[in-house]
Amino acid sequence: MNKQLGVYICSGCSLGEALDLDRLALVATRERKVPICRTHSFLCGEEGLTQIRSDLADGSVNTVVVAACSPRAKTASFDFGPASLVERVNLREQVAWSHAARDEDTQMLAEDCLRMGIARAEKMEPLEPLAEAISRTVLVVGGGVAGIHAALDGANAGYEVILVEKEAELGGFVGGLKRVFPVHPPYTSAETAGLGEKIQALKSHPLVTVFCSAEVLRIDGQPGMFDVALRQGQNQATVRAGAIVMATGWKPYDPAKLDLPGCDLPDVMTNVQVEKAAAAGVMLRPSDGKPVRSVLFVLCAGSRDPNHLSYCSTVCCTAALKQAEYFREQHSDVQIFIVYRDMVTPGFYERYYEKLQSHPLNFFLKGEVQKLERNGDGKIVATLRGSLLGEDEPLNLAVDLVVLATGMVPNSADNNAIQTLRDAQKKLERKESEAQVAEAQKTIGLLERHANTEILNLGYRQGPDLPVLQNGFPNSHFVCFPYETQRTGIYAAGAVRAPMDSVLAAEDAGGAMMKAIQCVEMAVQGQAVHPRAGDLSYPIFALQRCTQCKRCTVECPFGAIDEDEKGTPRFNPYRCRRCGICMGACPERIISFKNYSVDMIASMTKAIEVPDETEDKPRILIFACENDAYPALDQAGMNRRTYDASVRVIPLRCLGSMNIVWIADALSRGIDGVMLMGCKFGDDYQCHFIRGSELASRRLENVKDTLERLQLESGRIELVQLAIDECDRVPQVIDDFVARIRELGPNPYKGF
Amino acid sequence: MADALMLQPDPEFVREVNANSGGELKKCFQCATCTSVCSLSTEARPFPRKQVLEAQWGLKDRLLGDPAIWLCHDCADCTARCPRGARPSAVMDALRMAAIRRMAFPRFMGSLVGDMETGLIVLFISALLLLAIALLPISKFAVRPFVFAQMFPKDRLEPMFFAVGAFVVLALTIGTVRFIRALRAAGARGPILPALVPALLEILRHRRFGNCNAGQTRRLGHLLTLYGFVGLAAMGTAVGIGSMFGLIDTPLPNLYPLKIFANVCALVLVIGISILVAKRLTDPEKRAGSSFCDWYFLALLGGIGLTGILSEGLRLAQSLDWMFFIYYVHLSLVLTLFLCTPYSKFVHFLYRTIAMAATWQESKSPGRGQLRPGGPEVVSSEGPGLPHVMGTRS
Repeated sequence: MNKQLGVYICSGCSLGEALDLDRLALVATRERKVPICRTHSFLCGEEGLTQIRSDLADGSVNTVVVAACSPRAKTASFDFGPASLVERVNLREQVAWSHAARDEDTQMLAEDCLRMGIARAEKMEPLEPLAEAISRTVLVVGGGVAGIHAALDGANAGYEVILVEKEAELGGFVGGLKRVFPVHPPYTSAETAGLGEKIQALKSHPLVTVFCSAEVLRIDGQPGMFDVALRQGQNQATVRAGAIVMATGWKPYDPAKLDLPGCDLPDVMTNVQVEKAAAAGVMLRPSDGKPVRSVLFVLCAGSRDPNHLSYCSTVCCTAALKQAEYFREQHSDVQIFIVYRDMVTPGFYERYYEKLQSHPLNFFLKGEVQKLERNGDGKIVATLRGSLLGEDEPLNLAVDLVVLATGMVPNSADNNAIQTLRDAQKKLERKESEAQVAEAQKTIGLLERHANTEILNLGYRQGPDLPVLQNGFPNSHFVCFPYETQRTGIYAAGAVRAPMDSVLAAEDAGGAMMKAIQCVEMAVQGQAVHPRAGDLSYPIFALQRCTQCKRCTVECPFGAIDEDEKGTPRFNPYRCRRCGICMGACPERIISFKNYSVDMIASMTKAIEVPDETEDKPRILIFACENDAYPALDQAGMNRRTYDASVRVIPLRCLGSMNIVWIADALSRGIDGVMLMGCKFGDDYQCHFIRGSELASRRLENVKDTLERLQLESGRIELVQLAIDECDRVPQVIDDFVARIRELGPNPYKGF
Repeated sequence: MADALMLQPDPEFVREVNANSGGELKKCFQCATCTSVCSLSTEARPFPRKQVLEAQWGLKDRLLGDPAIWLCHDCADCTARCPRGARPSAVMDALRMAAIRRMAFPRFMGSLVGDMETGLIVLFISALLLLAIALLPISKFAVRPFVFAQMFPKDRLEPMFFAVGAFVVLALTIGTVRFIRALRAAGARGPILPALVPALLEILRHRRFGNCNAGQTRRLGHLLTLYGFVGLAAMGTAVGIGSMFGLIDTPLPNLYPLKIFANVCALVLVIGISILVAKRLTDPEKRAGSSFCDWYFLALLGGIGLTGILSEGLRLAQSLDWMFFIYYVHLSLVLTLFLCTPYSKFVHFLYRTIAMAATWQESKSPGRGQLRPGGPEVVSSEGPGLPHVMGTRS
C-alpha cells in the first residue's frame, strides 16, 4: 500500500496551552516528512472531522494520525471506515493532563509520542477480514433444564439448534424433581417444574433437532465450522455447527468422601436420594421400611469445606426446606431438624424460609453435626457441636432419618488433567528412559480418574475438553466474561458453569445461547467475538520461517493453534481472540497482525529520541496492557495526577504479546529502563486472555539472565501488576521506578 | 458421646410460648440484634436471643430455670429493632408467664396467668366473700359518724384476711422452693441468701431499670409504684395487726403520722401506676406487647389505690350513699390482689429478686470479655455504649 499519511493535531482540551504545537508539527513535517499536517482547535468537532474526511476523500491521505485524546476516547468520531487506517497519539490523558504545562520534558514526551504514532502508522496495513462459509447452527450438549432453555431460546431467535442428550429422555435432573423452588409471588410454595411444556415446545419446533440417547464422539474445526460426530445407538453422523452451548449439568458430591462418621449408615440419605424417593411417592426408612417421624437435615455436608467442595452450591438450603415439606405431607407431626452453617436462601427464597420456619415442628439450629450413630432403638443419634444451644458442650439429637445436603459438582471434564494423562501415557509407550517411565507412571497414578471422562472430545492440540478453573468449573472469568470458556465458540450454561438452581439455569441458558449467536454472527462478518469484539485483524503466520518450536501452539490460552505431524502450527483463525500471545511467544517473529506486529512495535521504540548520557534525561519505556493498565494511566491523567515525564508508553493488546526482542532492542538503543504493566495473574487472575501477564513474567525471567550476561542490571526491567481501578498507584509506581533507574545511572549502551 | 445432653423439643411448650408472644416466635433467625441492643444482657448471661432459640426448640427445663428471663425488664427495645419481627421481648414475657404458671401452688391456679376468665372469677369470688361478711350478720347500721367497721366488722374481716394471707405466704414459699429447684437444675449455682441484700438494695435503687432503654420515665413509674405499694402494704399489715390486738383504733385521726404516711403512699402509688399506664399506651412496642396479664395487674393495683383514696374521702365527707360501696370494691380488689399474688405478674417481685440474687456474683465479676456495661455495678445513667453506636435511640 502506498502510504499517504496525514497528521492531525488537536489544540483543544488544554493541549494548546500545555504544549508548543508548532514545534510538535515540525516533528511530522520536517523530521518524518509527512505531507499533510494540520492543527485544529476542536478536532473532534464537525469542522475538524470534515477536514479529515475531505482529505481522505480526495485521496491526499489514506492513513490518519490523530494526535489528540486517548484512543479510548472519541472512538466513534475518529472512525473513518474500514478502508482508512487510523493511529491515535495520546497527547491529552498521558501528556498534557499528567505532566507540567509548557515544560521542556513534557514537550519532548509529546514529540516522542507523535514519532511513535507516525512510525506505527507507516507500517500499518489495511485489514482483510476473514470470509469463509459459516454455519449458524448451534449445538447444545445436554438436555436438562439449561439445555432445553438454551435450545428453545436459540430456536425462537431463528437459529437452527441441534440438541444432544445422553439419556433416553429430556429433562435432566430437574425433570426428575417432584417440585421446584417457589418462582411466583408470594414465594411460599414449591411449584411443579413445568418442564414438560418446554420439552413439547422444543420437540415440535421446526428449527430444533433433538438426539436423545446420543453422545458426541468428536468435534473438529473451529467456530462457524465445527464438525460434530454424533453417535446414537448404532448410527453415526456428522453435523456442522457454528457454536456450542455446553449444558451438561451437575452431579451430587459423593457422600462417601465425607469425613462425617456414620454417614454410611442405612438411614442416612442424600438430598438427591430424598428427591427421587419423593418423586416416586414413598419416603420410608431405608433400614426397616418404617414411617419417618423425625428427620435431621445436615446442611453444608462437604460444602464450603476446603477438603471437599470449597464453595456454596446455593441450592441445598432451599432444597432442604422443600424436602421438609415432602416429609410433612406424609406425616403432619413429623419433627424436622435443620442444622445449618448459614441458611443461604437467595432472593425471594427467603420468603419460603420464613414460611417453613414458622411451623412449630420445624427446628432450625446453627451448628455442626460431628457424628452419627445408631442407637438401641434403631434411631440415629447425631452429635452436634458449636451450636448456640450447646456452646462448647456436645448435644445429641435422636432422629429416624438423616438427610445429607451434599453440594453440586459440575459435569465437566478437566481438559488439562486429561491432556497431561494422555501425554504421560504416550511417554510410557515410547519408553525412552527409565526416569521418564517412572515419572509417567507416577503421573498416570495421580490422574487415572480422569481417564475416559471426555465430554466434548475436541480435536484440539491442547486437549479434548474445556480447561477448568478452580473447583472444576469450565467458565472463564465469572464476573467479566460469564459463559465464555477458554475455547472460543463454546459456552457453558447452567450448573456446569456455576452452582445454581433451575430458575437461574434457565436464565443462564439464554445468556450462553446469546453468546453462541453473537459468536456465529461475528464469525459471518469475519470479526473477533470477544473480548476484542469487532476486531477484523488476525495473526498471519509466515510459516516458511517456522522452526516448529511449538511455543505458539502451547502458549495460546484458547487452543487456537493445532499442529501437523511435524509440529508446524495450523492456525484456526475463528478460534482466535486476537490477543497476540502467539506473537509474543514466537522466537522467530513470524507471527504478525496487519496492524500490530513485532516490527511495528520495534519501530515505535526506535522512534523514541534518546538524549545522551550527559543530559540526565533518562528514557523509560512502558509496555502497558491496553485492557487494564493503559486505562489506569488514562484515568490518572483525567484525575490530573502527575508523574515523571521520562516515560514513553506503548499499549499492547495483552502483555502476553510482548516479544522479548523489543526489550533487547530498546536497551541496545540506550533506553534506560523498561517497565511492563499488566494484569494480576495467579488463581484470581484479571487478564482478559487468561495467562498473558503470567506468560510475560515468565519470559521476563529469561530476559533477565540475558541482561546479566550483557553486564546490565536486571533492575532495569520490571513487571508491575496494575488493575484498572488502581489509577491512584500510577504516579508512585512510575516515579519510584524512574528513581531506581536514576540510581542505576544511564544505560551504558547509549550512543552505540 | 453418652454423656452429651439429649435435645428433646417439647412441641407443646413451643406452641404455648408462641401463642403467648404474639405468634412470631419462629421467625427469629438468630441474627443477635436483640442481644446486641439489650443494655442489660451480659456476656456471662446473654439474652434474649438464646432464650428465643431455646423457646423455638421447646427446651422447657432450661428456660424455666433460666434466671435471665427475670433479668429482662421488658423495655421492648429488642422487639423494636428485630429485623424479622420475632418480638423477642414478648417471648421473654411469655416465658415469664410460663414459669409463673409452672411454679404455682396449687397447680390449677397457674391458669390464672394470662387467662381473663380465671382472673375475673377470682375477683368475683373475692367480692362474694366480702359481701357475705358484710351482710350475713346484719349489723347495727348507720350511726353517725359512719365508720367502715359498721359494715365490715373487724373481728370478721381481719381473720379472713390473715387466713388468706397465710395461704398466700404458703403458696409463695412453695413457689420459691420450686423456682430455686428449677434454677439449680438449669445450672444457676450462685448463692442466693448472701446476695439477697445487695439484690434488694439494687431493687430499691432501680439502677438496672435506668440502664434499660425504656429510659427514665418507666423507671420512675416503676419506682413510685414499688415504694407506694411497699409503704401501703407495710402500713396495712401494721394497722391490721395493731387493731386486731386492740393497740390501734380505726379510723386513725387524720393527722396521725401513720395516716399521713399511708395517704402519701397511696398518692405515690397512683402516680406511679399512671406513669406506667401512660407509657404502655404511648409506646407502640409496649402497647402491642402488653398481655391481659399486664393490664390485669396494672388495673388491680391502680384500682386499689384509687378506691382507697376515694373511700377515705367519702368517709370524711360522711357520704352514706357511696362510702360503703366504694370501700366494698376496694376490699374486693385488695382480696383479689392477695389471691392473685402467686399466680399473676405480681409474683415477679419474688422471682426477679431471687434471680438477681442467684446471678449477683457473675454480674459482679462478668468474667471473660464482657462486651458491654450494663450489669448492676454500672452507675452511669447514660446507659450502655453499644446501642448508641448501632442506631438512634428513641
